[in-house]
Amino acid sequence: MGLSFLVPAFLAGLVALGIPVLIHLTRRERTAVVEFPSLMFLQKLPYETIHRRRIRHWLLLVLRCVALALVVAAFARPFLDRPTAAAMGRGGREVVILLDRSYSMGYGDRWDRAREAAYRVIDGLGPRDRATLVLFDASAEAVTPATPDRGRLRAAVEAAEVGPGITRYGPALRLARSLLEASGVAEREVVLITDFQRVGWESEDPVRLPPGARLLPVPVADASAGNVAVTSVSFRRETFSGRERVTVSARLANKGGEAVRGVRVALELNGRELRAERVDLEPNGSAAVSFAPFTLSEPGTRGVVRVGEDALTADNAFHFVLSPGVALPVLVLEAGTGSAGRYLDRALAIGGEPGFQVTTRRAGQFRPAELEGRAVVILNDAPFPGGEGRRRLREFVEGGGGLIIVLGERSGGSDALGGLVGAAVGRPAEAWRGRRSAALVSVDYGHPIFEPFQAPRAGDFTSARFFRYRPVTVRQEGARVLARFDDGSPALIEQRVGRGRVLVWASTLDTDWNDLPLQPVFLPFVHQLVRHAAGYEPPRAWHTVGEALDLGGKGELGAGAAGWVAVSPSGERIRLGEGERAALALEEPGFYEIRSLAGGERGQTVAVNVDLAESDLASFDPSELVAAVGSDGGVPPQPGVLEARLTPEERERNQALWWYLLAAAFVLLAVETLVSNRLRRAG
Amino acid sequence: MERKAAGGEVAGANFIDPRALARIGDLELVARTVVEGFINGLHRSPYLGLSLDFAEHRPYMPGDDLRRIDWRLWARTDRLYVKQFEAETNTNFVAILDVSRSMSFGSQGLTKLDYARFLVATLAYFSRSQRDRVGLITFDADIVEEVPPSAKHLEMVLHTLARARASGAGALAVPLRKLAERFRRRSILAVVSDFYHEPEEVVEAVRWLRYRGNDIIVFHVLDPAELEFPYEGGTSFEDLETGLRLPVMASELRERYRALVREHTERLSRLFAEERIDYVLLDTARPLDHALFDYLSSRERLSRVR
Repeated sequence: MGLSFLVPAFLAGLVALGIPVLIHLTRRERTAVVEFPSLMFLQKLPYETIHRRRIRHWLLLVLRCVALALVVAAFARPFLDRPTAAAMGRGGREVVILLDRSYSMGYGDRWDRAREAAYRVIDGLGPRDRATLVLFDASAEAVTPATPDRGRLRAAVEAAEVGPGITRYGPALRLARSLLEASGVAEREVVLITDFQRVGWESEDPVRLPPGARLLPVPVADASAGNVAVTSVSFRRETFSGRERVTVSARLANKGGEAVRGVRVALELNGRELRAERVDLEPNGSAAVSFAPFTLSEPGTRGVVRVGEDALTADNAFHFVLSPGVALPVLVLEAGTGSAGRYLDRALAIGGEPGFQVTTRRAGQFRPAELEGRAVVILNDAPFPGGEGRRRLREFVEGGGGLIIVLGERSGGSDALGGLVGAAVGRPAEAWRGRRSAALVSVDYGHPIFEPFQAPRAGDFTSARFFRYRPVTVRQEGARVLARFDDGSPALIEQRVGRGRVLVWASTLDTDWNDLPLQPVFLPFVHQLVRHAAGYEPPRAWHTVGEALDLGGKGELGAGAAGWVAVSPSGERIRLGEGERAALALEEPGFYEIRSLAGGERGQTVAVNVDLAESDLASFDPSELVAAVGSDGGVPPQPGVLEARLTPEERERNQALWWYLLAAAFVLLAVETLVSNRLRRAG
Repeated sequence: MERKAAGGEVAGANFIDPRALARIGDLELVARTVVEGFINGLHRSPYLGLSLDFAEHRPYMPGDDLRRIDWRLWARTDRLYVKQFEAETNTNFVAILDVSRSMSFGSQGLTKLDYARFLVATLAYFSRSQRDRVGLITFDADIVEEVPPSAKHLEMVLHTLARARASGAGALAVPLRKLAERFRRRSILAVVSDFYHEPEEVVEAVRWLRYRGNDIIVFHVLDPAELEFPYEGGTSFEDLETGLRLPVMASELRERYRALVREHTERLSRLFAEERIDYVLLDTARPLDHALFDYLSSRERLSRVR
């Protein structure tokens, strides 16, 4: 172990050591001047034998000299040059190199520095050492087995690239732990080369390394990193002259400590720049930009919002896909021409995203052919169709359609559910035990229908009064009660039938039996009922890297197709297997083009964006992580062991010996002052 | 008060402390006091007559000048005796006094220049009383003042002495070489200095004065502090002539310094002896009578013609 200096030129300052000697001689010895006829004889004496002044207080002199030497050494920026384990002739080590490849590593030259650090670690391996290269972002992957082959390790580092993922230290550390635990080597190290983003660590459970293992952090973060990102995009749709116009608003965030002026934000549609704006961003501030509206006519329109260039380019583009709005085709069957469907019709007429295309028929006029193209059928206080209609309705439901049975006065008795739901319907009942009304209690807010009402003040079902309802007795396990009246009788029941689902509402959707239609929750409740029955999922304008796209649910592509082929943003063709369900892992930001191998149908475009949590480049102290992953045996990791593979600047910065030297110098000077004063008084 | 002289003890002599003399303002009085006190203390005076006075008879030796045989005594005793006379001593006496700044040093209330002043005054007074012509030359790096030798110049000599001030850097070669050319008559030259030069340089410079056969006596005047180096601890010494300062640990240097001074004076003494020049080392703490005695001893030796 040797001592090296970052700025050895400062050591020339050691000449200053003569200063305390001079001070000592000139200050401590105050002597009178004696006039003498001639110095002829004195000058003849050999110089070294002329003791011009006696140094009486050696302690003072030593204190002053040492203090000055410490100051000089501190300015020369010393650091300890520890030899590697191999150089020290010890046994082999098991080294796991964790190399961060999250997209924040693409900031400036971080990735180059990270790879250089990895090369240094590899070059520092002894002949008996083995290393494993693990690339990680949100997940970790060992790209090489444990090997002493430096060439292979270097090639793996060379081949590694920055990905679109986000930083998560937990998986990487867990993988490193398992690799170390599998190793029989006593000396084990984990080298973590990363930018130490705080977002990657805060939410992680601490991972402990095996006893004796050491974590050696190699930070490559920049001292100050500014970044502008597009954090979200929202759309406002309007219908104008029968055509849909969309206003795109983008939200920008400045994650740096310096203001950004006049940054250019552009909206592209299908690869063509449509609008551009300029915006100012305050330090750590955000701003919204709304572009002028445009007419949306083509489904699967690709849109990109781009913000000006900065050192981190991955989050400068936000991709999305827009399609014209759709309307769920709904068939409402009613018993008669009464007012039973008034509230329901009004409610469904107000649908936005999606809208509802409502067709109302009298139950008696129901023709099975009308089921074609419908998403939901509502039996609104109407008897269950019989004969062919019943069979087709069952097939409709089993094929994925939705059926909502609203029980009322005119609903059939025991046949009201058509045998689709394992429950029995009783006669209409008055409110329980002579009270004027019953209330809806015991609502399953975890269910998708009621989920929007879960938040406080999001909707109050208890204020609705139910005067009459049909008691339903659930007999099969498949039927799930989603809400109950205060007497325990089910109010809403869901039963999955085949690929579709049946919802049973035990009271009416008009004001005959309850005043729910007069409550604010009525409209969203009905919308939720229909959406859920239709199995409607709003089309997502974008996905995030790391998500898996469930292709089985893509009706547009055809369920159970012969298979799919996806073209990634980088042009890679991904063949997905046949079967009912297949999933596509979205690994790149940009647009995926997915087509069914069955052919004929138009493909679907999926927009994918990076996870914007990564765009916050704030870093944390590596020692925090080192302390958190300290080995179970209580032996804390020794950050200094790897320093031999760091650059001298990094080693010096990590060790910060200059600070200790300066502190020691000040202490010595204080002691010197005390001793000096005491000696002066004594003398 | 008795002090040991350089050449041995002078019995019966009552010497006067130079510091006591320093309290006497009049140089002539000082000189007279010294000379008279000195003479009174002597048991025997070989200096009673300085003209062609008969001194003694001695048996004739083959080779003696026949003209100096005392025939009267031969007639009375039938033996040949030669008459011996004191030499004719009516000569020039010139004191050559160093008045460089180093002569202003004195550690005991009396500077070397004061001491030298008394010495020269005394010698001049004494010489005048011997009917010699007295003169004075002061010098530092060059000749400062000059009083030509004359029988009437004693007062001027004393006056010049009283006026002399130590100043300027000292040198020997230049002024002494100039002086060498001025003495038309054979003279007795008393060179008084502290001789802070290398012995060879000193002798080389003084040798110039022997031109025309001058008799030279050299008085090396040093303060006791220069000889003993009594300083303690850290002391910064400033050269009186150059202003150079040297901080030294005096106590540690003392022995080396003394050895150097001793070597210096011994070397001077030896070199002067080789040149047949009388060399007298004077400590300013010693009474002037010693110097006078040394001088007279030397004078006797020089002037006696045998």
